[in-house]
Amino acid sequence: MDLLPSNRSPPPPAPTQGSPCGSASSKDSVEWEGRSLLKALVKKSALCGEQVHVLGCEVSEEEFREGFDSSINNRLVYHDLFRDPLSWSKPGKALPGGPLEALRALDKRTGSGPATIALDSLSWLLHHLPCPILCQTLHALSRQDSCPGDTLPGEQVRVLGLLHEELHGPGPLGALSSLAQTEVTLSGTMGQASAHILYRRPRQRPTLQTQWFSILPDFSLELQVEPLLESQPPSDLHTPSVDPTTHLTFNLHLSKKEREAKDSLTLPFQFSSEKQQALLRPGLGQATSHIFYEPDAYDDLDQEDPDDDLDV
Amino acid sequence: MAAAGTCGTGTRSTGSMVAAASTNNVTSFQRRGPRASGADSGCSRLVSIAGTRPSVRNGQLLVSTGLPALDQLLGGGLAVGTVLLIEEDKYNIYSPLLFKYFLAEGIVSGHALLVASAKEDPADILQKLPAPLIDDSYKKECDEDVCSHKMEPDIKMKIAWRYQLLPKMEAGPVSSSRFGHYYDISKRIPQELIETSKWHGFFLPEKISSAFNVESCSLTPGYMKLLQFIQNIIYKEGFDGSNPQKKQKNILRIGIQNLGSPLWGDDICCTENCDTSHSLTKFLYILRGLLRTSLSACIITMPTHLIQNKAVIARVTNLSDTVVGLESFIGSEKETNPLYKDYHGLIHIRQIPRLNNLIYDISDVKDLAFKLKKKLFTIEVSQEAGKVVWYSRLFNSS
Repeated sequence: MDLLPSNRSPPPPAPTQGSPCGSASSKDSVEWEGRSLLKALVKKSALCGEQVHVLGCEVSEEEFREGFDSSINNRLVYHDLFRDPLSWSKPGKALPGGPLEALRALDKRTGSGPATIALDSLSWLLHHLPCPILCQTLHALSRQDSCPGDTLPGEQVRVLGLLHEELHGPGPLGALSSLAQTEVTLSGTMGQASAHILYRRPRQRPTLQTQWFSILPDFSLELQVEPLLESQPPSDLHTPSVDPTTHLTFNLHLSKKEREAKDSLTLPFQFSSEKQQALLRPGLGQATSHIFYEPDAYDDLDQEDPDDDLDV
Repeated sequence: MAAAGTCGTGTRSTGSMVAAASTNNVTSFQRRGPRASGADSGCSRLVSIAGTRPSVRNGQLLVSTGLPALDQLLGGGLAVGTVLLIEEDKYNIYSPLLFKYFLAEGIVSGHALLVASAKEDPADILQKLPAPLIDDSYKKECDEDVCSHKMEPDIKMKIAWRYQLLPKMEAGPVSSSRFGHYYDISKRIPQELIETSKWHGFFLPEKISSAFNVESCSLTPGYMKLLQFIQNIIYKEGFDGSNPQKKQKNILRIGIQNLGSPLWGDDICCTENCDTSHSLTKFLYILRGLLRTSLSACIITMPTHLIQNKAVIARVTNLSDTVVGLESFIGSEKETNPLYKDYHGLIHIRQIPRLNNLIYDISDVKDLAFKLKKKLFTIEVSQEAGKVVWYSRLFNSS
């Protein structure tokens, strides 16, 4: 599921055969807002011909639709939770049942073909729903519908969510990250926005990528190369690879001569033919061993054999 | 028995008490068994179930975890009636492998399976199991790996002559294929093996109705349903001995994936002081009770890195029998560390049970690392780390 533009490919690829459906979450903060990126992605999906459902909670419908032209607006189905979240007005107008029902309604939506669901925002939903319920509902949304044998590769659902990471503790953030297949964290330097993209594939190592981009007034996404910084940050702070063999008090490496000497040394327990000969035939040149014994005062040196007394 | 026979004749010759029995030429020592007694079998013979073996240390019945290296670290295998808890690595790449090895071993040994998951359909999980390797193909894999290693200057160890005669430790598959098999991760298990196996699946979104009921009991509804399902299967299939007319005993292998994650309805990963903080611990307690009274073994993978309350992790560890933690190097600073360049992560054996024993069966080696090759998952002693630590300890003390 490759909604987010990668470095050199044209943005973004249409749902291809191999891409699984999944969910993506964008994390933004106060300095780098993510709604414009969300709208840019929504625009891209709409331009690809997909139907886009937007669950709007934080901004009004007019504000969300602003900046899109009419072709995109026709493809956009807006589910409004902003105007009347607690459904105080007549039930005909607003969505009854609150946010959970709205999410479940999105799950059961009729319509074939690939679709994109944009949740604006996940933070609002986290505040109004318990986290496990939200995770379960999101998981059900992004799973393929279980019609056995019926699911075509084209019928995929993509879920995009916007999360304000400063509003939540590490718990919900971790829980939602583990659910998402792609996670985009927005940051930037010097007025240039960047996106750190963490892409988890099902059984492979996750890849981390940084992409610099900017969003034009008509919500098209423009990819950029990394801006050259005048003052180079001290990137050499990352220490050169740790070599544990330095600063040792002993020598770990052998020179050639030392190695030869080591190889030619016969160890005491090594069995060689010379040793075998020496064991079998005690040589004449061998010095016989002497034992030197100095008796001290308390020793009883009796030359008689004490066993002579025994009568056996 | 020959010994009893001679004893009988011996006593007869010396005229002791057994003379009365000597008239029948039968001693009072009778061998119990079908030959002598002729009664129904099974009471005195050892229970031998396919795919299990008794432990050499304490006689406990063991099953293989699917990874012979892990079996060795756990003291021969996983004891029947215990829980193996795998603490998942951060991006959940390697723990599903251990999960799949366990299930694949169950299929190959002919055990019954129970797969529970809140994320994936159990039928899909079973489709993705690795294919078992027969012996000669494994040998070929080993040789390929050896040749592909870069040839280092071969520093042969000079062994004292006595030890050259000792047999080498065999790291390949044993010729008898009854305990511990090897698998090829790059291939899927053949469909016919899955079809001939007996498995039960529990997929949470299907079992839980979409009604949002607030449960008043302390277990979250997902856990409650799972426990009822397990209990039902154990009772119905007779793993706890409740159907005595079953002729062949079998082991039930239970696999629970991602327990404790929000998809099970548990908010232990989301908040630090949650209301249902005892739900997970109660589940483990009841599960262990179910396992102890039946012929089953369970593997659970849990995302402990997401659990916010560290006390809960300690409780969960105490409530499980064997705990193995996986720590992958992805994204951490250890990834670029040259000490760990050959490996993909560390494996920590956090707890080993003390069953019918006074001492623990802990191996001496603590620096274990794992490596995911193209077709195999291997666990090795992380040699580089061990070497340097040894050097510095030995010479810095002098």
